[in-house]
Amino acid sequence: MNNISESSQWQALKALADQQRQQPIHQLFSENPKRFEQLSFRQGELLVDFSKQHFQRDTLEQLIALAEQCELPNWIRQLFEGAEVNHTENRPALHTALRLPEGKECWLEGKNISIDVQQNLQRMDDLVHMIHSGQWRGCSGEAIDTVVNIGVGGSDLGPLMACNALAETPARDDSGRLAQQAAIDVHFVSSMDGSQLADLLKVLNPMRTLFVIASKSFTTIDTMANAATAKEWLNQNANCSETALVARHFIAVSSKPEKMLAWGIPKQNQLEFWEWTGGRYSMWSAIGLLIALKLGMSAFKTMLAGAHSMDEHFRQAPLEENIPALLALTGIWNINFLNIGAHAILPYDGRLKNLPAYLEQLEMESNGKSVNRQGETVDYNTCPILWGEIGTNAQHAFYQLLHQGTEAVMCDFIVAAKRYGPDASQELRHQHQLNLANCFAQSRILALGDSVLEDAQSAPAHKRYQGNQPCTTIMLNELSPFTFGQLIAMYEHKVFVQSVIWGINPFDQWGVELGKQVATNLLGQLDGHETDNLDASTAGLIQAINQ
Amino acid sequence: MKIAIWGNELIAWTAAACFAEMGNEVLFTPLFSGGDNSESANLDHAPANVKEEPGLIEQLQQQQDSGRLQFSEVTTASMAMLHFLAFLPKQLTYAESLCHMLAKDKERQLIVMNASNFGIGASDKLQAFLSGNQQVMAYIPDQLPAGSALAHFKKPDHLIIGCQQEWALMHIRALYRPFSQNVNSWLLMSAREAEYTKFAITGMLALRLAYINDLANLADEIDVDIDIIRQAMGSDERIGQHYLNPGCGFGGEHFPQYIEGLAGTLSQARNSSLLSTVLEENEKQKELPFRKLWRHYDCNLQGKTISIWGLAFKPGTASISNAPSLKVIDALLNQGCKVQVHDPMAMANIEMYFAKHHHNDQLRFCQNEMQALENSDGLLLLTEWAQYFSPDYQTMRDAMNTALVIDGRNVFDKKLIEELGFSYYGVGR
Repeated sequence: MNNISESSQWQALKALADQQRQQPIHQLFSENPKRFEQLSFRQGELLVDFSKQHFQRDTLEQLIALAEQCELPNWIRQLFEGAEVNHTENRPALHTALRLPEGKECWLEGKNISIDVQQNLQRMDDLVHMIHSGQWRGCSGEAIDTVVNIGVGGSDLGPLMACNALAETPARDDSGRLAQQAAIDVHFVSSMDGSQLADLLKVLNPMRTLFVIASKSFTTIDTMANAATAKEWLNQNANCSETALVARHFIAVSSKPEKMLAWGIPKQNQLEFWEWTGGRYSMWSAIGLLIALKLGMSAFKTMLAGAHSMDEHFRQAPLEENIPALLALTGIWNINFLNIGAHAILPYDGRLKNLPAYLEQLEMESNGKSVNRQGETVDYNTCPILWGEIGTNAQHAFYQLLHQGTEAVMCDFIVAAKRYGPDASQELRHQHQLNLANCFAQSRILALGDSVLEDAQSAPAHKRYQGNQPCTTIMLNELSPFTFGQLIAMYEHKVFVQSVIWGINPFDQWGVELGKQVATNLLGQLDGHETDNLDASTAGLIQAINQ
Repeated sequence: MKIAIWGNELIAWTAAACFAEMGNEVLFTPLFSGGDNSESANLDHAPANVKEEPGLIEQLQQQQDSGRLQFSEVTTASMAMLHFLAFLPKQLTYAESLCHMLAKDKERQLIVMNASNFGIGASDKLQAFLSGNQQVMAYIPDQLPAGSALAHFKKPDHLIIGCQQEWALMHIRALYRPFSQNVNSWLLMSAREAEYTKFAITGMLALRLAYINDLANLADEIDVDIDIIRQAMGSDERIGQHYLNPGCGFGGEHFPQYIEGLAGTLSQARNSSLLSTVLEENEKQKELPFRKLWRHYDCNLQGKTISIWGLAFKPGTASISNAPSLKVIDALLNQGCKVQVHDPMAMANIEMYFAKHHHNDQLRFCQNEMQALENSDGLLLLTEWAQYFSPDYQTMRDAMNTALVIDGRNVFDKKLIEELGFSYYGVGR
């Protein structure tokens, strides 16, 4: 396929967009009372409503035709079958294999990798059990009750998000009994400057603290620097050999066993994941250890099962009902045909506070590319700028711009229909109703503008609302490990579909490499070496420090 | 006198035996579960701690043979005027339905002596089911130590009786007179005050133990011998010697349970965490011998053979309830040790307790203490049975792989045992 933007389908969509622009979203609603039925989709406990988007049912059909022109079904098949979809690094992207139920097979280069996956899950289970039962001992012999994850990017955002999202889930062990893990405190540190870690070390008890070093390459400088600080802190507080100290206080998760060993991590404290798992798709692997520690292994497996159910939907459902595909194509419509370059992620649920940061990485690191698979610069937009915040908090911050600014912004509203059981206080249950009302009110005004009022025209200009900001509402029946798994897998597949349309590789991230290299070089100059070869700005800044 | 005894605590069975021995007609319903259809019992229903109590089963048998002790139906037992309640702490609802049932006839005279540990205020709650001055709820705290329950019941140091109705006290005094003729040792107060006294005493003892253990742990670090400190402290008459022996934590059926109740009450009512801290520290203290072993072997016990002397929570009983041995064995098994244990009475209980442990194939029960030392990489002494005090050290050394002794009860002479070539760790010495 040559340049997609020159294809007849692309051109047809462009023409359609010109037409569609004439008709604001509120008019689409008044003309078609069946919009919700036609443009909302369900998969299990997940409901996705596209009816507040700036298009009609037949636009979706045109978009699906574009996807077919891009051979989307074939790409989906290749993704699941382990083809080298990451062609710049000669790797498949088999995060879907991490969520296969026990007994299902996934073959890669003559090997059923499901067996490795299940074995690794079992090892995770053993570690989790040991820690939960109070039998993982620190070097004083006391039981570990605090676990700190040291990782950054994919080794941080996913587990951090999941732990916060699902903290209300009562932790149960495999037999369904309430487990003891409430007693395990989990923390995450990622920042290179050590500030998060330094704050934690002031309050933690070294003898009861275990560190999990999570790094795919086991060379990530941010992570290794934090790990070294943690080790030094333990050393100052312990009186045992360094071998014992590392064996009792560090677990490592990486795809590089030899590097873990070189750092001193004994074999039994190593958890592995594989080259075919991208960092930002690794929450489903042993990188999710903290999730299992916080919620129990059974909840972790339920989360995998939720993601797997979305995988199966994505693999099998026709494009007309395929939720990740439709979500992606809606984005394509907004980005490439309505020329919208900003995307707000608005969870109406405090538990999902880390979802925006997670999706920022997932989408922008995956699709923030301008060179296609043939090595040519593309002549159309790819990934927009994503940002977000808990919706109700953002209402007091950047919603002003969404409602009355000059930027067109597409918005995802994410909300759980049910929350707080009958045991919760009446006031708390009322807060959920309040939250739902705000979620629906905001998406309504953003899409429909002040047309929702009867006499809006009479208001002064500064009180008017233009609307027409396209919104998608993603509603979970409730936020549980299962629906959470579905939700995240949905976004992962959405990103893949968009990459297929744009003809780019979503699984590499060459754009983050040069910075690491240049930073390493600058270390020497910060130590006082010559700065002559630098640009004047950088040289000036360094000289200002070294004076 | 005719007295009905309800409930399945050790003190219920002990009281049944002792009251019957003194000529009372005892109607005993240990399995009462709140209604007329409660299962009727016999001696075989005695719970393990009753069967293990020295002399108790024999005395119950004698009294049953004499006819003075009868296992009774609910309806027969409820006819009595005197009732003695000894339910488990979680059985408050049983006690409530019993009081409700007994007091149906509002005119009858009724004395209910509650010895169950339901916490402060429970007697008042139960009193509410009774009516008028003719129906009285008294509280007589259960102070029986496991292992010498009979002796303590028959000859108490003092008796705390929470009851302020003169006519009822007259009957209670008569009932207890054969056991405690010295009226000066009777402490009379309200039921609520008696409940509080019971809690206060238990809490005080726990605090002393926690404090001496804390001092001992510090002594370990600053290299002084806690034994010397302890003796000097005890010589101060304001302090005294009791409950000042450091060790690897206290256990037992009742002691921790009472403190837990008191800790809960204090933290709810006063936001005080003093006793909860005591309990937490006590749980940690139980693993002290394990931690000393762990550090001795630089945090790796995989494949080591470890011996344990003493499994019961204290000498003289087969009870392993809340015993340090439970935590220590679990920890050792999980670290991949082979564990060889000995106890004069509690082996069967430990065997049952660990029957389903996923590493129970690493646990070996030994006929005698020396057998437990074969090829051992270290001995942990957890219960101060007298027979362990003066072993043949030469035989010990010959049997063991590594001459290492961790003395959780400070029973050995540190100087001598070190002189003989053992590595020795005590508690605070």
